[in-house]
Amino acid sequence: MNIKSLLAATLFGATSLVHAQSAGSIVVYGGAAQITPKVESGDLSAPSLPGTKIDVRKATSFVGGVTYYWTDNISIDLPISAPFTHDVVGAGAIQGVGKLGTVKSLPATLLAQYRFGEANSTFRPFVGAGVTYGYFYKPRATDSLSGITGGSPSNPTTLSMKSRWGTTMELGGAYNVTKDWSASLSVTKTFIKTTGTLSTGQTIETTLDPMSVKFGIGYRF
Amino acid sequence: MKPFLTRIAAASVALMASLLVAGCGGGSSADTTPKFSPSSVVSFGDSLSDQGTYQVGTVAALGGGQYTVNGIGPSWLARIAALYGLAKPCPAQQGLDGLASQGFSVPVKNNAGCFAYGQGGSRVTNPVGPGNKLLGGSNAVLGQLTVPVVTQMQNHLAAVGGSYKGTELVFVYAGGNDVFINLATVQATIAAGGDPTAAATAGVTAMGQAGGELAAYVKAMVVAKGAKNVVVINLPDVSLTPFAKSLPAPTQGLILQMVNTFNDQLKNGLSGTDVVWVDAAQGVRDEIANPAKYSLANVTTPACDLSPAKNPLGSSLVCSANNVIAGDVSHYLFADSVHPTPYGEQLLSQAVSLELARKGWL
Repeated sequence: MNIKSLLAATLFGATSLVHAQSAGSIVVYGGAAQITPKVESGDLSAPSLPGTKIDVRKATSFVGGVTYYWTDNISIDLPISAPFTHDVVGAGAIQGVGKLGTVKSLPATLLAQYRFGEANSTFRPFVGAGVTYGYFYKPRATDSLSGITGGSPSNPTTLSMKSRWGTTMELGGAYNVTKDWSASLSVTKTFIKTTGTLSTGQTIETTLDPMSVKFGIGYRF
Repeated sequence: MKPFLTRIAAASVALMASLLVAGCGGGSSADTTPKFSPSSVVSFGDSLSDQGTYQVGTVAALGGGQYTVNGIGPSWLARIAALYGLAKPCPAQQGLDGLASQGFSVPVKNNAGCFAYGQGGSRVTNPVGPGNKLLGGSNAVLGQLTVPVVTQMQNHLAAVGGSYKGTELVFVYAGGNDVFINLATVQATIAAGGDPTAAATAGVTAMGQAGGELAAYVKAMVVAKGAKNVVVINLPDVSLTPFAKSLPAPTQGLILQMVNTFNDQLKNGLSGTDVVWVDAAQGVRDEIANPAKYSLANVTTPACDLSPAKNPLGSSLVCSANNVIAGDVSHYLFADSVHPTPYGEQLLSQAVSLELARKGWL
């Protein structure tokens, strides 16, 4: 943040020509995101039908976050989302079996972004890179999963998915509607793997590598 | 612009609000509600779905009653019923027609409300199957009832007023005893000087006929009578059982041909119907080809000690934890020369579940 813009802000107040996204700005945004895992599943370990694989379906949820402008061009973004509920379905040798369960995910990401253009540009494309912690929780198995793994209602087969770290790349654009309000759209690709474990002991290595599309309306504080 | 700290505070409040919508963590759980809730499970077949027809007299006294290692775990049929929250299926009929002196003569009774019709020794159409006293010799000792599948289906219709409600889950699983009897006929023909090729051809043809008949019964006496949820399990590959493995290779080949012909005719006969097909033949082949993948420790040796001293019938019908062979047999595939262990039953229940789920019924 340079002295001139600080002075300008102080002297002219809210209606002044303050740059929309300049160094020191804090933008809080809210919106929605859709996560589409691009699953590459390993085979479920023994005992199982050879070639038993899984797929994880896309999910949509609310997402919010805060962006801090370190400089006019470099920002730190911390998206915080409501949980995504993904359906886990059978694939490979058990293709067509349908839903085996659901798992909630809460991806926590910290991104460093580079924003092109000037602080007061109306449209600013940006690129970002960062780390993601994929937190998987509240898995809920179906009767089908019990059936194909030898479980029963009194001793149902349950599943769990290991929370893991991954890396995230981002490409997006922000449109500054007014000095304080902005809208942004971004596409992120996260490289993340997880290990699914059944209560009956089998494990499955799964590459999730989700692609997410995020839309948000931001307000500069 | 407001002071930095104020902005941080405001931003934090906004963030906290967004966090409130995020749920808290939790352990894993299961929703054990199936997609379809059958009113009852009805099953037709032989020893592979027998739920205790002969669990009477000396058989019961010996701790037996089902063709597996008794008392260890549920049958495949009981596992499927449990998935639907239904009670353990009970035998529609119980009794024995063997030697009274050995406790194998027990008056036959029909159990009202019990729809597990499969009986050890039952064939598709012929009322005399293995263990039936009309076959004489050792068969007369035990005297299995061997009510054939065609009669089982008729009996069920009679018991429920002539038609299905459409809410039952119906299983059909038969054919093995037609293999044993037809194979014995081929062997007897050859032993009596008959032409081996002609004898084998006749045996395979008879198996094809049995498969076609079973399909016709399913259509006429189950589907056409209002059953909407019907599962047909084909005949497992008998040529891979310890029974077959004890026979010469050409005989094993003949058994394989009998199994395949039966299954082909069964499948052909059912084409166009909306029944669920479970390929148990392929399932067993796969299990025996990849035992480790199924956590099977042994796919060749019976888990039961079938020596006369330990097992008076030489059958898993009277096998329990008391007369299995030494060592850990919990992951053996075969209980005796043809029947599965409780673990084998579990593997079948999993294969059946897979097809039920694919159909959207689980």
